[in-house]
Amino acid sequence: MWGAYGELIRLRFLIMLTYRVNYYSGIVIYAINIGANYFLWKAIYGSNTQLADMTIAQMTTYLAIAWMARSFYFNNLDREMSTEIRDGSLAIQMVRPYNYLMVKMMQGFGEGLSRFVLFSVPGMIVASLLFPVQLTKDPLHWVFFLGMVFLSFLLNSMINLIAGLMTFYLEQIEGLLRLKRVIVDLFSGLLVPLSFFPGAAKSVLEWLPFQAITYLPASYLAGKTINVSAGHVFLVQLLWVTGLMVPLVWIWHSARQRLFVQGG
Amino acid sequence: MRFDLFFEYFRIYIQTRMMYRIDFWVEIVTDMMFQMVNLAVIVVAYKLTPTILGWSQAELFFVYGFFMVPYSFFTTFFNLWNFADRYIVKGEFDRVLTRPMNSIVQLSFENLDPSSLAGAVTGVVIMYFSAQTIGIQWQLLDLVAFFVSVVGGILIYAGIYLFMISLSFFTDAQTGIMPLIWNIQNYGKFPMDIYNKMIRVLLTWVVPFAFVGVYPAAFFLRRDGLSLWLTPVIGLIILSIALVIWRFGERSYRGAGS
Amino acid sequence: MSKPAIRVEQLKKEFRVTKPREGLRGAVIDLFNRREQSVVAVHDIDLLIPQGEICGYIGENGAGKSTTIKMLCGILVPTSGTIEVNGYVPFKDREKFVQEIGVVFGQRSQLWWDLGVIESFRLLRKVYRVGENDFQKRLNELVDRLALGDLLNRPVRKLSLGQRMRCELAASLLHQPKILFLDEPTIGLDILVKSSIRSFLMEMNREHGTTIMLTTHDLQDIEALCSRVVMLDEGKIIYDGSLDQLKEQFGGGRSVQVQFEHNTLVENVFESTSGLSATWSKPEAQLDDGKTLRVTLDDVNVPISEILERVVKLAGIRDIAILEPNTEDIVREIYRKGV
Repeated sequence: MWGAYGELIRLRFLIMLTYRVNYYSGIVIYAINIGANYFLWKAIYGSNTQLADMTIAQMTTYLAIAWMARSFYFNNLDREMSTEIRDGSLAIQMVRPYNYLMVKMMQGFGEGLSRFVLFSVPGMIVASLLFPVQLTKDPLHWVFFLGMVFLSFLLNSMINLIAGLMTFYLEQIEGLLRLKRVIVDLFSGLLVPLSFFPGAAKSVLEWLPFQAITYLPASYLAGKTINVSAGHVFLVQLLWVTGLMVPLVWIWHSARQRLFVQGG
Repeated sequence: MRFDLFFEYFRIYIQTRMMYRIDFWVEIVTDMMFQMVNLAVIVVAYKLTPTILGWSQAELFFVYGFFMVPYSFFTTFFNLWNFADRYIVKGEFDRVLTRPMNSIVQLSFENLDPSSLAGAVTGVVIMYFSAQTIGIQWQLLDLVAFFVSVVGGILIYAGIYLFMISLSFFTDAQTGIMPLIWNIQNYGKFPMDIYNKMIRVLLTWVVPFAFVGVYPAAFFLRRDGLSLWLTPVIGLIILSIALVIWRFGERSYRGAGS
Repeated sequence: MSKPAIRVEQLKKEFRVTKPREGLRGAVIDLFNRREQSVVAVHDIDLLIPQGEICGYIGENGAGKSTTIKMLCGILVPTSGTIEVNGYVPFKDREKFVQEIGVVFGQRSQLWWDLGVIESFRLLRKVYRVGENDFQKRLNELVDRLALGDLLNRPVRKLSLGQRMRCELAASLLHQPKILFLDEPTIGLDILVKSSIRSFLMEMNREHGTTIMLTTHDLQDIEALCSRVVMLDEGKIIYDGSLDQLKEQFGGGRSVQVQFEHNTLVENVFESTSGLSATWSKPEAQLDDGKTLRVTLDDVNVPISEILERVVKLAGIRDIAILEPNTEDIVREIYRKGV
């Protein structure tokens, strides 16, 4: 059983390698995104050395780490899933002896892994050369960070799967998926760290799962949050992984009922 | 141009949309929320500082509003984000080639998306309110300039993205470059002086997204009287290049087959 | 005779394909350096198809059938050679050329998935600039012939494969094309639909003189429709002629299977027909029964009655079967052995 899932990860890794234009453009995407965000923030800082709870140097490091984490947790499982539901290939998946949601997760994992190894790491090196990024040298921090990013992947993928399952209930899902993407980017703190949001917005966002995807892990590694320990980050992430499991499983079951009724 | 065909395709579009009426509204609403989320970033930034390199929040809002107008006209006629997958990998381009109609026009009509026009309305509303805040005195020339820059912007988008989808004739990449360009496009909404030289050159001369956003908007903000008039010129140049590449691409597709 | 519908000389099509390396290591190497290979899909073929002919184009998967059809439709540009269809060079003047041809790719739809069939037809009317009157007349004819009456207002996604294929055919004929290209038109259809499509195509051909070129894997399509068969193997034409001739040339003649009342001495039977250029053999399926024998007539001019007359003297006959060579067997033989 696990052998099959392992094979799925490997396969996706290979598929990612097949499209070499994607590979090269991927590196450029990350460099440009980090760059543009860096300059935008530099302009916002202006002559200020510190805004909210971050100095410009911390902000630069935060942005680079956040984008690196994103390259790992980001995937298009939602879009793939909605395609598979619409063209009926989900029905074929259902007769195979594995769990469809697990299959998607594994594919996403293979994709994230390849992107992480192949372009986040080189992209990060390039970014550190171009911009004043200060990365910690404490190996323990990095080990914890990798664990956190894995949990970010789980969280983001679960949100993607829930969004993808909405295809059963809506005929056109493109708009919803696009909206979801910007919401995750903004609310997770990728574009703006949570501590920069105005008070009310900040307290709402702290009760949502998105902060656990980018803001908490990136803050941890950027060394910004002195009072937030690794334990705290893990705790929030694990709570949300468990919390999202409930709606995911529930929607999956009700969607399967629909599948049997509609016949795909 | 065969206008009767446009209406025929438009009729097909309306009929398809009418079958999924709720989705039509879902799309409009999600699109609005999408824009609001983007504006939220600007709001958050200005909570921290009253001015960014001398630009006020209302001015950035104005640029944002302007940016939406040519883009939404463009996406109405260019809804080919999955071109590589649908037409090349799945081979639907074969069918396009068996019809007595220009292939680009056919692709555009087949994928019409007039619901994008809602974005132009939102954009104009945003422009109107931020212009009031700033206190812009409208002149007749502004109307001409607006028309010229919107048309020019559409040409620039058409050129860049036609160029991009032409590449799928040559390569096996399915999704690589389009999101890259789309990301870069969004940096055209900010004043160019925030970027370093490299990115500024990129957005001005390589993928000239500055000309669909901040440069023409600066004309109405009385910050730059000249760049706006360059927009259609650059649009024409880039579209001509793209058409040549498309020609080559189509030839290569028909040479290589699938 | 008028101009030929299709004239092809020394037509060649060469592709470049990438050859991916195996495994993870190979994939990484491929990122930086690709291996390319050229493949000849169609190899210097000549073809002359007069107007009004129905030509079957057969061959195994990958023999180059679709590539040829795509070149004839103007989708692909040949590597070399000359090609003229309906007086046009298909890949030049594409827009003018396709106005007068119809194309159906069995595996792909040209209809709008979500909408009623008639909506797609109306759109195609505009695309092909068919006048309203002509369109109505033509549509009525097609609806009548293909029994589309109930289907016109149904969304395409709700149609069965057979219904959809009938609609696809109608869609490709709305503009009265002079030449119709069909790529696997009967694939996946049941026998009833297949035969109705076949008789429809025959009618179209007879009444409007439509030249039809079809590729198929179903040899019954060929038997029912085609006066002409072109057989392709590895990009080369290995047979071009009538179906009868194919049978004659490769089918090994007619044969008669005789079942006697009693066990009969084989030698006696052999002797009885000596001098008639007929070869006796035991049919493989009934080796043991000793009563059944088969005679193959190598010479077309030998009357079967002559054989029977001689054999009947030897012993009582219980049953006689005259065996025509089966196209499917012949084709299978050719693929296996080559020509």
